[in-house]
Amino acid sequence: MINDFHYLKPASLKEALAMYAEHDDCKVICGGQSLLIVMRQGMVAPEYLLDIKHVKELSYIKFDEKDGLRIGATTTHREIEKSDIIAKKYPVLVAMEEKLASIQTRNWGTIGGNLAHADPAGDPGPVLIALNAEIKFGNSGGEKLVPLDEFFVDYFETQMEQGDLVLEVHVPAPEPKFGCAYQKFNLLDSDMGIVAAAASVTLNADGTCKDVRIVLGNAGPIPLRVTKAEDLLKGKKLDDALFAEAGTIASEECMPVADIHASEEHRRHVLGVLTKRMLKKAFEQAQTAA
Amino acid sequence: MSHAKYNVINTHVHNIDGVAKVTGRATYTFDVKLPGMLYGKILRSPHAHAKIKNIDTSAAMALPGVKIVVTGKDTLGVKQGIWRRYEELCDEQVLPLEKVRYIGEPVAAVAAITEEIAEAALDLIEVDYEVLPAVYEPLEAIKKEAPTIHEGVERNVNVTRHIEWGDVDEAFEEADYIREDWFKCSGQAHMCMETRAAVSSFTPDGKLTCWASTQSAYYTQGLLAGVLGLREGDVRVLAPYVGGGFGGKFELDAAMFTSAVMSMKLFKPVKVCFTREEDFIASKRRTPMFYYVRTGIKKDGTFCARESRMFSNGGAYTGMGATALYLSGFFHSFPYKWRGYRYDGYRVYTNTLPSTSMRGFGAPQAMFCSEQQIDWICADLGLDPFEVRRKNGHTEGYEVPGQAFIQSCGLEQCINEIEKWVKSKGKLPANRGIGISSCGFMSGGIFNWFDSPYSFSSAVVTINVDGTVELHVGCQDIGQGSNTTMAIIAAETLGVKVEDIRVHSGDTAHCPADLGAWGSRQTLMAGNAVKMACEDAKKQLLEFAYAEMGINIVYDLDIKDRWAHIVARPERGLPYVDLVKKALRAKDGQRIMGRGYYTPHRKGMISPAYSYMMQAVDAEIDPETGKIKIHEVMTAHDCGQPINQLGLIGQLEGAASMALGYAYLEDMPMEDGKLMNPNLVDYKVIKAPEMPEAGIIEIDTFEPEGPYGAKEAGEGLTNPTAAALGNAIYNAMGIQMKELPITPERVLKALREKKEQEAQK
Ligand SMILES: Cc1cc2nc3c(=O)[nH]c(=O)nc-3n(C[C@H](O)[C@H](O)[C@H](O)COP(=O)(O)OP(=O)(O)OC[C@H]3O[C@@H](n4cnc5c(N)ncnc54)[C@H](O)[C@@H]3O)c2cc1C
Repeated sequence: MINDFHYLKPASLKEALAMYAEHDDCKVICGGQSLLIVMRQGMVAPEYLLDIKHVKELSYIKFDEKDGLRIGATTTHREIEKSDIIAKKYPVLVAMEEKLASIQTRNWGTIGGNLAHADPAGDPGPVLIALNAEIKFGNSGGEKLVPLDEFFVDYFETQMEQGDLVLEVHVPAPEPKFGCAYQKFNLLDSDMGIVAAAASVTLNADGTCKDVRIVLGNAGPIPLRVTKAEDLLKGKKLDDALFAEAGTIASEECMPVADIHASEEHRRHVLGVLTKRMLKKAFEQAQTAA
Repeated sequence: MSHAKYNVINTHVHNIDGVAKVTGRATYTFDVKLPGMLYGKILRSPHAHAKIKNIDTSAAMALPGVKIVVTGKDTLGVKQGIWRRYEELCDEQVLPLEKVRYIGEPVAAVAAITEEIAEAALDLIEVDYEVLPAVYEPLEAIKKEAPTIHEGVERNVNVTRHIEWGDVDEAFEEADYIREDWFKCSGQAHMCMETRAAVSSFTPDGKLTCWASTQSAYYTQGLLAGVLGLREGDVRVLAPYVGGGFGGKFELDAAMFTSAVMSMKLFKPVKVCFTREEDFIASKRRTPMFYYVRTGIKKDGTFCARESRMFSNGGAYTGMGATALYLSGFFHSFPYKWRGYRYDGYRVYTNTLPSTSMRGFGAPQAMFCSEQQIDWICADLGLDPFEVRRKNGHTEGYEVPGQAFIQSCGLEQCINEIEKWVKSKGKLPANRGIGISSCGFMSGGIFNWFDSPYSFSSAVVTINVDGTVELHVGCQDIGQGSNTTMAIIAAETLGVKVEDIRVHSGDTAHCPADLGAWGSRQTLMAGNAVKMACEDAKKQLLEFAYAEMGINIVYDLDIKDRWAHIVARPERGLPYVDLVKKALRAKDGQRIMGRGYYTPHRKGMISPAYSYMMQAVDAEIDPETGKIKIHEVMTAHDCGQPINQLGLIGQLEGAASMALGYAYLEDMPMEDGKLMNPNLVDYKVIKAPEMPEAGIIEIDTFEPEGPYGAKEAGEGLTNPTAAALGNAIYNAMGIQMKELPITPERVLKALREKKEQEAQK
């Protein structure tokens, strides 16, 4: 059962940061889609809940050809999914959101809450890292901007400290000849991934690989970069054999944990398959991209 | 036999409870709130097998707000069971005195002024256990050296069942080909939207009222009276709206029992509702089964003999498991004619959550094994699976030796229709296949292990002055729409409209006794009772019509569309409402009342009638990940005369989702007897995005035993699906799936083994 708590409802970002600084045993609640589950299980029992759902300053989607995409922390999954500009510029984000939970959950859950929760099975993490995103967080004392890649520290742990709020996610403007793909493996379409893989590929004018990112979901304590496989591909003319080899490396490098839904062996195997497939898909997109 | 033209039957009738449900006005047991009501919670065993040495409730009692704490010692200690006729199968004390036999078994209960306090009090109860060695699998529990779960039960064998006809050995001799396989079928949670719940109120006049989420108010009444030492008539059970049952809600459960026990001690209403987790770990489940199947067949495809042995995981208690043991063995022969058939079923106690009946009642497991093996035999011998099923299938007038007599049977048309449908799909892309499976099911059981002296179904119909109708039935609407079905049958019979009927059900004090909603029995059995009651009332009305119209008695009168008339001259008549008013006056103000009942006699061992069907499942497999995608399910279905097309579609789609879940998603993995996924994140049920198209082709038959020719529709539809999916995968990938659920990992393992075998060749 959920414990009794004091409810704090700030009207502005400034007030939110001040309240957060003031109360020690305090948890932020935004959409509540992840927090309420752990509270109901009694795993989290804070004295104060700081509700930032209504802090309008943090709810926005902005795009600029040079600067790229900026998404405020309290923007919901559904707003991202339904954004025309994101559909046009970063279709992989929309495709990812469409398979994130159910519409009800997407209407409540937010991008900031998702990243702060730092579940290695979360969908946005791997995709945003593949898109080379940064995350801005801060407290009443100041702000920090770090590559999302470095933000996650361990299972359900980030670089943030008590008093920090996620403020914004920044995704750079897409380069020419760029492609990005993501897929999770699950039994039900609306489920968290048993495992997942994101891949992005940028090609040089001569068709060789300029840059590549491979990020695995639920394959370890944090969204997992497979740099060994990335290094294999960089500078090369990509083909199916290389994608398969990268897949093999991914299945060796990952650190998935078995549970009732799949053995470790099966997880490794599927991570290899997904890596291969997402690389190929991203590559094909990059080839046809302007 | 041909169908008459009907006014109401076989139209699209919306569920008469629909508006109340979708607008949130329907009152479920969960919603019942009485003045001064207390909230109860149940303490459950953390051990799979342990002696209860001592229970100290003093600290819990001392918690402010706690009104009572009860253990087995505060009860009469009655060993109860729904197989009331057989004492040895009444093996469950809902609050056990001596020992616990599965994780989650109730050991004590608390009632307090709030749910939170009751929950907190559970932590203060100290139970001193002596942990005993436990056993979890039937093939282990049956061994000599296994721990004893129930004193005096040798090798933990709870019940055995032998079914045999023909000369089996001789029939095997005639076979040109014999195939043997082992299968493993999993358990499944009933997953009712409404978890187990009860509110009991015992009053100083010595009478108990219990609101309960039950499939049979009458069974609950009888069982409660038995364990509480009350007369049946002093127990009133109300089952207002019920959020699903699926075979899991007609035994006595701990919500009913503990709320009643505590209410009797306090003279206050007590409410006990299971959480979702409690519903998973402690409300019984579909029976897991190990099947050995040996089948003999002639080169031309004629079936000779089948011999099967089945070991089921009974869990800690009998429940409805004894019936599932029998029905699984019986339907394992379905829907075919065997010269020799032999089945030996063993239900084995283990230290796990008890297993019981669940939609299909043992048949989905039996069909998973039988229908796949038939396809493999066809492949082994180069025979056509449709042809073989047609050749050996049941037909009208067939007698299953010593067991059943088949009156109506549309199996052959079902096979023909599905064959046409499959052929229309043409050649499928790689890794995609369509599998078929046929089966049949009962329309109500002829079993009376409960030892009811009442007829199996009864109905009372009363006609009000304005022509509206009060229909009192004992059959239970648990969401399947039986109230609507009964309203349709009543409206058709009386010649009025569905909206003229008010159905009263789920109240033992005001409705006649009926065995309730299980075994696909209500449409046929309660339907016959309703039809008889309405015919009785109509006959009384028409007597006045004869007198009023002054017509020659050789004419037939009838009522249709609220118009009483001469059948041969329909324009000559009078409005039904006028007739009712006149009849009332003529009867000195007594209302017209009709009574009806039904009990099967001389209808074999199992059921008065059988539905038939063939189903096809179209599925695609990802050969690299093993993931299964279901594209479509198509069923050709003989349920006799459909009563309500909308109801039928609802049953078909619900069954498809449940049976597909059983086939490839739902599982109840345990570690040392502990369920590993007692929540809706880890227990996977099909949701809207995964639900494939599910179509139905109705086969027209007429069942002489059913009301207006109707048979069961709903439970049997869960039987063919797992096998059809298995056969689809076999056709797509050439692998044989012998274990449920069919998970991606099992698919990949089978693919690997197939590759290895091919490499060896
Ligand atoms: C049924 C279900 C299915 C789901 N399926 C998926 C899925 O498939 N994929 C997926 O990725 N996710 C899934 N989720 C997770 C969910 O959708 C959210 O994305 C997310 O995890 C929580 O967002 P929220 O706003 O609800 O955060 P909350 O639940 O309110 O908070 C989550 C955590 O983040 C902290 N927090 C919230 N906002 C901030 C902030 N701005 N700054 C600092 N800390 C903050 C909270 O203190 C808390 O610790 C699912 C959830 C449910 C209930």
